[in-house]
Amino acid sequence: MPLYESVYIARPDISATQVETLTADMTKILEENGGKVVKDEYWGLKSLAYRIKKNRKGHYSLLNIDCPPAALSEMERNMRIHEDVLRYMSIRVDEHDEEPSVMMQSKSNRDDRDRDRGRGRDDDRPKRDSGDTPAVSASASASDTPASDTKETEE
Amino acid sequence: MSRRPFFRRPKSCPFSGDNAPKIDYKNVKLLQRFTSERGKIVPSRITAVSAKKQRELATAIKRARNLALMPFLIN
Repeated sequence: MPLYESVYIARPDISATQVETLTADMTKILEENGGKVVKDEYWGLKSLAYRIKKNRKGHYSLLNIDCPPAALSEMERNMRIHEDVLRYMSIRVDEHDEEPSVMMQSKSNRDDRDRDRGRGRDDDRPKRDSGDTPAVSASASASDTPASDTKETEE
Repeated sequence: MSRRPFFRRPKSCPFSGDNAPKIDYKNVKLLQRFTSERGKIVPSRITAVSAKKQRELATAIKRARNLALMPFLIN
């Protein structure tokens, strides 16, 4: 049976437990049609990058599915009908990754985020264009005191 | 720094190599580094992503946009 990854966004008005039952419903539909859900994740209430049906937020859920194509289209049909589902996307994948996805990891270590962002900027800079950095340092030394200027020539 | 003005050091693709990150539509933080401030996909000649990986990256960004994880445009 082919492997699928399915993400859906539920309406923000409903509670997290309702999202869980929605996931359970979809799992039941898949199982009735001879498939199975390998893993399901609830990413939580996240803000959307743009408004969908006047909503600014949504409950994100991910399902890793192993099912025949007919079962997936049946689940998608049910998602289309369901009012609480704002959007869904199912894609076929060659393999499922066993560990929790990036979304769950970023949720668990939210404290590390600032440090992560700083590091990301650091390895971004030299890659972009090398011609940028000397210009910045030159302008900085021009505006700075002569003391810092001498320090730079020493380096 | 005595560097020639138009010297370009050879750039390497950020997605090839041993511990290269995997392109995934769920990894928004990674994808955001390859989009402009307005949300456009940055051309590979600037980011030095290889042609094959750039196609993969574009698909991932478009998937993330569809799921409202990334914006189509920022005003």
